[in-house]
Amino acid sequence: MSLPARGLKVKNMASGRGRNQEVILKLGDVWKVYQMGEVKVPALRGVSVEIRRGDFVAIIGASGSGKSTMMNLIGCLDVPTKGSIFLKSKDISKMSESDLSSLRGKTIGFIFQQYNLIPSLSAFENVMLPLEFLEYDDSAAAKKAREILLLLGLGDKMSHRPTQLSGGQQQRVSIARSMVSDPEIILADEPTGALDSVTGKELMNILTKLWKEEGKTIIMVTHDLNLAKYAHTRIELKDGRIINVSQKPLAKILPG
Amino acid sequence: MKLRKCLKHAFDMVVHSKLRSWLTILGIVIGVASVIAIMSIGSGMQEQMSSQLGQLGGDLLTLTAGASRGSRTFGMGGGDRFVFGGGGATAMEEEPVLDRSDVQALKSIPDLALIETEISGQVNVSYLGKAGKVSLTGVDPAVWFRITTLSIAEGRMLDSADQNVIVVGGRLSSQYFGKPLGINQMLTINGNVFRVVGVLDDQSTSIYMPISMAYQVLDDKSVGVYDKITLKVRDEEQLDATINKTENKLRMVRHVTEKTQDFSISSSKQMQQTRSEMMSSMNAFLVAIAAVSLIVGAVGIANTMFTSVLEKTKEIGIMKAVGARNKDIMLIFLLNAVLIGLVGGLLGIAFGIILSASLPALMGEVGMIRGGTLVTLDSIMLAISVSVIIGMLAGLIPAYQASKLRPVDALRYE
Ligand SMILES: Nc1ncnc2c1ncn2[C@@H]1O[C@H](COP(=O)(O)OP(=O)(O)O)[C@@H](O)[C@H]1O
Ligand SMILES: [Mg+2]
Repeated sequence: MSLPARGLKVKNMASGRGRNQEVILKLGDVWKVYQMGEVKVPALRGVSVEIRRGDFVAIIGASGSGKSTMMNLIGCLDVPTKGSIFLKSKDISKMSESDLSSLRGKTIGFIFQQYNLIPSLSAFENVMLPLEFLEYDDSAAAKKAREILLLLGLGDKMSHRPTQLSGGQQQRVSIARSMVSDPEIILADEPTGALDSVTGKELMNILTKLWKEEGKTIIMVTHDLNLAKYAHTRIELKDGRIINVSQKPLAKILPG
Repeated sequence: MKLRKCLKHAFDMVVHSKLRSWLTILGIVIGVASVIAIMSIGSGMQEQMSSQLGQLGGDLLTLTAGASRGSRTFGMGGGDRFVFGGGGATAMEEEPVLDRSDVQALKSIPDLALIETEISGQVNVSYLGKAGKVSLTGVDPAVWFRITTLSIAEGRMLDSADQNVIVVGGRLSSQYFGKPLGINQMLTINGNVFRVVGVLDDQSTSIYMPISMAYQVLDDKSVGVYDKITLKVRDEEQLDATINKTENKLRMVRHVTEKTQDFSISSSKQMQQTRSEMMSSMNAFLVAIAAVSLIVGAVGIANTMFTSVLEKTKEIGIMKAVGARNKDIMLIFLLNAVLIGLVGGLLGIAFGIILSASLPALMGEVGMIRGGTLVTLDSIMLAISVSVIIGMLAGLIPAYQASKLRPVDALRYE
């Protein structure tokens, strides 16, 4: 993790559990200005950041500080007003919408605060969805979706609709969906926001496991400093600017 | 996303918004069913017409007196008059008639193979206590069976030696009196008793008897005066020439000119042509009306699709977040619309077939559908393709709109 802008520079030797990984995501002087009628709302003002493969990043900051906006840009769900975003060294501002969709489908898994499952589909079908868009072979896709749901302890809930599941279960389905296509990056926007603390903790354990054992790059947005403790790198936003970047010694998070 | 998967999601969408989908489908069903039913009427008419065309034979001419008797009846089966040159009405003290001198003149035309004279009128009939009023035709028994297009179902045709015998229509025989009026049964006509020798293979209630007897039964007719003369031409290829010759000859003996002509000759062939033209333009008109209901159905689909896109905005955002490309979203929504159209079309065809089958019973013997209705494969194929195309067109803009939603905006939508 390094931060070229505003003289803040962080050595990033430790990210990816000590491996010196390549930069998977790079934001260069990114601005996002929302137009609200006559008024211009600058949500991000010149954010520059590099995230390396295999890092667990927490983006923290008060409500309205621009976390979600940044997350949407990282996830190619939105385009910056100004600045450049490189995902796996591809300039996403130069990509077509459909290429972006494909890239998103292959490289990024989303976990949303409100789970965002499709209500008319069963847990299993929801998890299948990313693979369908990637035109996976049916049986391979089904096998994979089933495995992941089993892994997340939802083996007996596969045919349940989202409304028939608890919040924690729904969020686990959405985690299953985010990882089913084996993306390199998992983006989580306030993933525990709608969960009680016990279930929230469970969820953080799953994310940590994904990071440690699967080597995923995890980028999590949260306003909860307790959750940020799980992360290796912390990026703090305030009023659309990065005000602090810090990294925890890996030993503190990674015993052994 | 593979087409099959898109289809599955589109199908799920139809199934999951049951009420709205069904209401939209209903709109299409009504449109398609009415198109099918109306086309079946048209096809039924055409079918009847072509069978009549074959039946009537193109080599028959009908000669009637009077100047300008236009086509009497629009529908089928009624008056079969097509007028040639019947223009100026002549101010005459007497109603023009056809009589023996005309027949003599006709006999001198070598192009005519057969000449058959007829009179007709309404008569009171009674049988086993039941009475009614039907039409009677007096025919020349020596020629009639050779010139008529009617055929016998039971018994025999009239013969030149016949006197007090009749041939009756199929319906008169089977249904009219409640009890069957069969061969050798006696029917009372205007007080005289006649024996049935033949039953026609048709659905009419007509009675045919030798013209000599008909003069006695129909007391307002005078002997030697005919209502109608049917002519068979020797060479069908020479139809127009024969008509010309016949007209010229008759004008001569009747002392009239083309302008004052007091008779008319119609040919079944030309009549059928005119009728067929009339029929197809009327058919087109009816189908156009039915098409309006299809358009209404299409608007219904478009409306449903717009609502659906709005309602599913968030889902579209989710789908895009997990990798849906614009064309995937477009395809899913388009297929949704097509499915609605297709289901509507198929149900519409089913209802259309039922409707057209029950139309004759519902509307009774209305001239237009007397020949029954006929649902053709063509109309079914047309209905299916039209409903699919309508679904596609109606879904096009909403689907495009859905595909163009920006993922962030779609995800924020509540
Ligand atoms: N689509 C939008 N249109 C207008 N303003 C927006 C939009 N999204 C976010 N904003 C504004 O941008 C700022 C940052 O929002 P956001 O990124 O959601 O912050 P956070 O997730 O940290 O709470 C806020 O002031 C918010 O009101
Ligand atoms: Mg937020």
